Amino acid sequence: MASRWTRLVLVSLILLGLQTTLLNDVRPFDVMLPVMLLFAVTAGTLYGSEIGATAGLIIGVMYDCVLSMPLGLASLVFGAAAYAAGLLPFFVREPTWWTRAITIGVVGAVGELAFPVAQSMVGFGGHFPPHVVVVVVFLVVSGMSIAPLLLPVCRWALKESPVG
Amino acid sequence: MALLVLTSIILVTLDLQGSAATKSMRSIFGAVFRPVESVARVVTRPATNAWYGITHYNDVTVENELLREKIAQQEGAAVAAAASVRLSQELLALNGLPTLAGINSVSAQVIGDSPSNFSQSVEIDQGTESGIKVGMPVLNAAGLVGRITQVFANRAVVMLITDPQYALSVKIINAPKTTVTTAPNEDPASAVTIVSVPDSIDPQITVPTVPATSNIAGFTPGSIVAPRTPIISSSLTIPPGSNVSVRETGILEGRGVGRVPTVRFIDATQRFGVVQPGSPIVTAGGSLSLAPPDIVVGTVSRVKERLGTAGPILEIDIVADLSNLSFVRILLYQPITERTAP
Repeated sequence: MASRWTRLVLVSLILLGLQTTLLNDVRPFDVMLPVMLLFAVTAGTLYGSEIGATAGLIIGVMYDCVLSMPLGLASLVFGAAAYAAGLLPFFVREPTWWTRAITIGVVGAVGELAFPVAQSMVGFGGHFPPHVVVVVVFLVVSGMSIAPLLLPVCRWALKESPVG
Repeated sequence: MALLVLTSIILVTLDLQGSAATKSMRSIFGAVFRPVESVARVVTRPATNAWYGITHYNDVTVENELLREKIAQQEGAAVAAAASVRLSQELLALNGLPTLAGINSVSAQVIGDSPSNFSQSVEIDQGTESGIKVGMPVLNAAGLVGRITQVFANRAVVMLITDPQYALSVKIINAPKTTVTTAPNEDPASAVTIVSVPDSIDPQITVPTVPATSNIAGFTPGSIVAPRTPIISSSLTIPPGSNVSVRETGILEGRGVGRVPTVRFIDATQRFGVVQPGSPIVTAGGSLSLAPPDIVVGTVSRVKERLGTAGPILEIDIVADLSNLSFVRILLYQPITERTAP
């Protein structure tokens, strides 16, 4: 049986395919839904900071490979966002599906805003677009909306395989 | 977390240093990911088309009507423009000056946009195998679109001119002042009415009594304003002979999604005075420029004055529609700054 990281890479590859085609073309309110980032954040909310950061790193590197930004920037942002999402149990004793959904929406929006900041750190422009408020609101709402879909997919992809 | 940060920083550093390892990593991933993306594109195309149908139908209908009207208006002007361009190229060639016609080009199809909210780039289906290299200018039928920033065997990434990283030296061509001269048609002996004449022109000018025309359909030298009363007089717009178009060099800078690019002057004191909205902007060229001279970029849409000696900032309307790029042309022109030693 494939390991959790192999499954993660395969699922991420499919999500990246959706990201660069459907989600890149369909932009409600002129905002693209960053499903790769939301998937990394979902990993954090489900499996904690350590697993989330590793998953974020892997997903981010894959995303980096199709971006024209420096390699490593998306992995840093995704990893940090997933790590932050993994801190949910420190604030909510027993997270439910809807507290996770809220976390995915909020942390996903913050993670997307972290992109320009990270870009500016390496000297790549990094200013906020004029419709940044729309981006944030849309990402919070859409992140919470698709969280019920991402949670089971991520749970399956990162479940621990039995040994032997 | 520390490991994550360290790994990311190492990757960023390697990539910014132009490491071959990161380039081959991107290349290998691209080869693996390409089939997945193709399948995803085929599967999701109905949904994408449905989305465009729902959200853009009215816009497309209105745009279609406007475009038909515009095409009808511009057919004559296009013939005249083509004749002028050919004449210009002949003159440049006669004088041994470089022209766009002398630069080879490659046509390519746009196969994807940047999957990001913060960068402005598109991907095309031609790469090193077609002779494309980093730095080459990309244009479409309307004008300049961007430049090549990454190139692979069969694909390349084009940074659009609206990207905040994009900068290019351009020329602003201020239209010369015009003189409107009215001459009656029916009575050649009657007095000639001169509405305005610049100081540099001798007032004893001779105005033809028949309207100036050209043998090219739809083309008239200058512009002829139709008289409000039937065939009493004709007004000709004559550019002053001593004033040819004046050019000034500036830097064009992209400003990201939803914001028009701007041009700021290299020299704060312009030679040609006040910049008029509508003035054309073309590439400046030069040995250090990223594009050859005289590629159309856009027109001045707004002039933002600044206090002090900073000079104005020009907002420009790009002639190329970057939101609907399908096919582009890559000029196989490589600026000196991007050339690598063999």
